Amino acid sequence: MNCKELAYMLADYFDGSMDLRLREELDSHIARCEPCMKFAKTYRKTCDKTKELRKDIEYQIPQDVRDRLENFVRSAALKYPEMVKEYREQVDRERREKVTALLSAAAAGRLSSITALLVETHCVKCPECKEYFDKRRKAGNAGAAPKAIESHVALLMESLPPDEEFFLA
Amino acid sequence: MSAERWKEDEVLLERLRKGAPDAVNELLRLFQGKIFNLAMSILKNESDAEEAAQDVFMTVIRKADTFKGNSALYSWMYRICVNTCLMRLRGKRRNDTVSIEEFMPIFTDEGMHASPMDDWSKEVERKALNLELGQMIRKFTDQLSEKYKVVFVLSDIEGLSNEETAKILGLTVPAVKSRLHRARLYLREQLSRYLQEGNPG
Repeated sequence: MNCKELAYMLADYFDGSMDLRLREELDSHIARCEPCMKFAKTYRKTCDKTKELRKDIEYQIPQDVRDRLENFVRSAALKYPEMVKEYREQVDRERREKVTALLSAAAAGRLSSITALLVETHCVKCPECKEYFDKRRKAGNAGAAPKAIESHVALLMESLPPDEEFFLA
Repeated sequence: MSAERWKEDEVLLERLRKGAPDAVNELLRLFQGKIFNLAMSILKNESDAEEAAQDVFMTVIRKADTFKGNSALYSWMYRICVNTCLMRLRGKRRNDTVSIEEFMPIFTDEGMHASPMDDWSKEVERKALNLELGQMIRKFTDQLSEKYKVVFVLSDIEGLSNEETAKILGLTVPAVKSRLHRARLYLREQLSRYLQEGNPG
């Protein structure tokens, strides 16, 4: 082992993770090599001094910072559920609008071919939706769908690429 | 991590998920000192550290839902804190990091020490030098590039194990060890030069 190899093994040597055989190798090199002895000692000291610093480096969190932080986090945390609620409501609203638009397009026979295919395929295995779509087609009117239908239709639309128009212009 | 500790974390998180106000207080009580400290160690600036701490707590509260209990809560929070601080550091233009290569030990082609070695390990035990040395260690650490600094701060300043540091930073343990070792070699060299300048001859 030369000095360079030794220098890059010092971390394991000092943290105790080095196996005995290798450790003896390092010990005997250090014993007969003054630069390495000095290097190892100062390396060790560098680590020890950093460790000592750990105690002093505890930055006391200043009282005003503490107060501000607590106030900020508490009030933001309290507002958070409201923000979530608002967000969910908005998502719901947007979904409802899209579904309504799709149903109107379906009633008017203006679905894009892929959307029509999706709706047809779904209606084969979902009598509830089939009945509803048939009813809408006959009545030809607009209006909000029942929740169950809405969620089925919303799911259908998720198989479309984002931003794809589901109706024909 | 003890089973008990894990259970406590889980209980606290569950309360956070439900939005219990006292859970927020508990989170603050347990972690605000630690998080502020870690942010200070990386950012070295009180107002930056304060803002980073705010971000960290908000992220934790927001993401309490997604936290998977396969690591301790503190290590998850440390990770969020490190990420937050790094984003802040990157946002700032910093010219004062040094190249670590300039401070690696130099060897001859035969792998022997190429420069004369000074043993200052006894000398620094002089009381008068202690405060100064602490300041120097901070200053030199601060000049490290992010890659080495964060590992050094977590392992050697915060005192985490290499395994914990690895988990927090998403590195392998050998990668942590090698960065840490290089950071120490750098610091050893910086301290050597500093002490030599102070004591010519």
